[in-house]
Amino acid sequence: MLTVNHLRKEFDGIVAVNDLSFTVDRGAIFGLLGPNGAGKTTTIRTILHIIKPDSGEILFNGLPFLEERWNTIGYLPEERGLYRKSRVLDTILYFASLKGFSGVQARHAALKWLERFGLKQDAHRKVEELSKGNQQKVQLIIALIHRPQLLVLDEPFSGLDPINQQTLKEIILELSHQNTAIIFSTHQMEQVERLCDSILLMNKGKEILQGSLMDVKQRYGSNSIHIEFEGDVSFLQTLPFVKRADVYQRYAEIELEDMSKSNELLTLLSQRITLRKFELVEPSLHSIFLQVVGEENEPREVKSL
Amino acid sequence: MTVAKWEFFEKVRSKAFLISLVLMPVIIFGIAFLPTLFAMKEDEEPVAIGVIDKTGKFLQSLQEHLNQTYKLENGEPNYVLRNLDDSAPLEILKEKANDLVIDGAIEGYFYFPPDAFENGNIEYRAKNVANIKIQERFSRTIEKILLEDRLKEVGIDTSTFRRLQANISLRSMKVSEEGEESESGFEDTFIMAYIGILMIVFMVVTSGQLLVRSLLEEKSNRVIEVLLSSCSSQDLMVGKIIGLSGLGLLQMFVYGGFGIALSIKFSTASFELGYLFLIFLYAILGYLFYAAILVAAGSPVTTEQEAQQINSYIGILLVVPLGFLLLVMQNPNSLIVKALSYIPFFTSPIMVMRMAVQMPSVLEIILTNLLLVVSTIVMMWIAGRVFRMAILSYGKRPSLKEFMNWLKEPE
Repeated sequence: MLTVNHLRKEFDGIVAVNDLSFTVDRGAIFGLLGPNGAGKTTTIRTILHIIKPDSGEILFNGLPFLEERWNTIGYLPEERGLYRKSRVLDTILYFASLKGFSGVQARHAALKWLERFGLKQDAHRKVEELSKGNQQKVQLIIALIHRPQLLVLDEPFSGLDPINQQTLKEIILELSHQNTAIIFSTHQMEQVERLCDSILLMNKGKEILQGSLMDVKQRYGSNSIHIEFEGDVSFLQTLPFVKRADVYQRYAEIELEDMSKSNELLTLLSQRITLRKFELVEPSLHSIFLQVVGEENEPREVKSL
Repeated sequence: MTVAKWEFFEKVRSKAFLISLVLMPVIIFGIAFLPTLFAMKEDEEPVAIGVIDKTGKFLQSLQEHLNQTYKLENGEPNYVLRNLDDSAPLEILKEKANDLVIDGAIEGYFYFPPDAFENGNIEYRAKNVANIKIQERFSRTIEKILLEDRLKEVGIDTSTFRRLQANISLRSMKVSEEGEESESGFEDTFIMAYIGILMIVFMVVTSGQLLVRSLLEEKSNRVIEVLLSSCSSQDLMVGKIIGLSGLGLLQMFVYGGFGIALSIKFSTASFELGYLFLIFLYAILGYLFYAAILVAAGSPVTTEQEAQQINSYIGILLVVPLGFLLLVMQNPNSLIVKALSYIPFFTSPIMVMRMAVQMPSVLEIILTNLLLVVSTIVMMWIAGRVFRMAILSYGKRPSLKEFMNWLKEPE
């Protein structure tokens, strides 16, 4: 559905996106990940034809950009906002008609979506009278009301309560079953892990990691151990066979140099702390993220010292 | 087109627009008519004026003349003179008189020195010396008395003089192209031109405010990104301008109707349809020209303060021609006025003024309109380029260099 080839974009001499290539298939959920300032938003904007790339091509179903394309894409930007003084239903219908979706059908669809998000009674209120979370739902409706072929969601879950997160997740999966290609940009790795088929991790405008979620996890092995505990585990970092330890209050993710040492670790731990759980797992996307991006950033930090 | 419709209806419904719609005629009416109304307001009660007459000849005849000429509505004399003269020395007299003025017992007082008849030096003292009406009326009357007296001295009888001094009143007629004569006084012309220009100014300022505001809002809430993922920046800009022009037109029709109704009622000016059409044409073109400028200037804006600034700059640019109003009225065909007509920023207002004073030649009208059309197209082109680049820039004001780069940026 969407093919991006060797995309490059510079701003005032700073390279925001450098030689980025990827494809998103129909019905696929694609995670675009990366730290702040990695060039995610720029990538999204070029895909949506808001800005033009310096070089590289963006193809939809093998074709370059055409006017009709506007109507086949939907976008939820990261920063939220709407016309504050306008009425909810009017706003939705306006954006829908910009996408070539208007008339009774649009009205019907808008009301249906509002109902699904529990906003039906707010249809004729002004946007500014709605809570932030509800405004965000209105924006979501705007992004998907015209049944786009490609839906780009920038941090769609932030600011939503668990119930609405659940609703959103259902909707995303539903759209994906209806063959909508979805691009997800987020920092929330759990969401990506639960929803995405494939991911692209970028940093400083460049691709660092790409592939299906399974591939990525396999590539980063399963030399990871999750523990739940009570006590002080700060000594973990000092153990020679521990490659990396990501320690929380009562939870830690440990990566070993050599998986054969896992028994040794278990013995050590049970001597020093109360273990509640000891689990050999594939690494979470979160720790892959930390690891890969961390490595990327290290040389620069050395230099700046 | 969808954008245009949205911009139009959302803004029409906004409170700011409704307020400006109502406020504008009130302000114009205020500026144009109230001062004259106030100035022409007649006194309702007799006004007491003190007189210290050291010549002994003025008091009597002054009162007679005043009674004859200036009467209140109920027929009583408008001015009542009070003789403040007695044998006391001048200093004390003046002190007393000053006290009376301060107490408000008299509006002011005239002092005629003993030699007033010879050299005509007269003093007027009052709390409010800016009251031109009293001074004008009194000095006219005093002049008359002096004149009559001096005429008598050289042996000319007052009645003979009256006969000789036939009443002269000047009626000015405006001769238009078709050779028709239409009566038109200085004030009519002035007010017409004034209203015409004010209309353009207010149109640009109010809808300019709305335009920059809406750009600012879309930028700060990032709606602009959703919009630009739905249509091209060109479409968006054109849509906005059309939508806001619709607003401007609506305003124009309302005010135009209001103005025509008003002038028919008071029959202050004669209207010709062709003239109205031309004013309309200049207003529309001038408006589009300024709308393009507003888009170019408004799209890089990121804060409310900047928006205010830009609006006031453009407001100033628009008001500048008002400064030339007198120049145009005195000499509509001078080189400088003609030159000004060809500066696109001033074309509309200056031409509206010139048409009110003296219809410029057909050639000039065609030329200036062409100029406006061309410069509007150029401005739109520039605005489109700036808009495309600036609309996504946040936070910093663009430098001139960036501005130029935006213009060069390929499509």
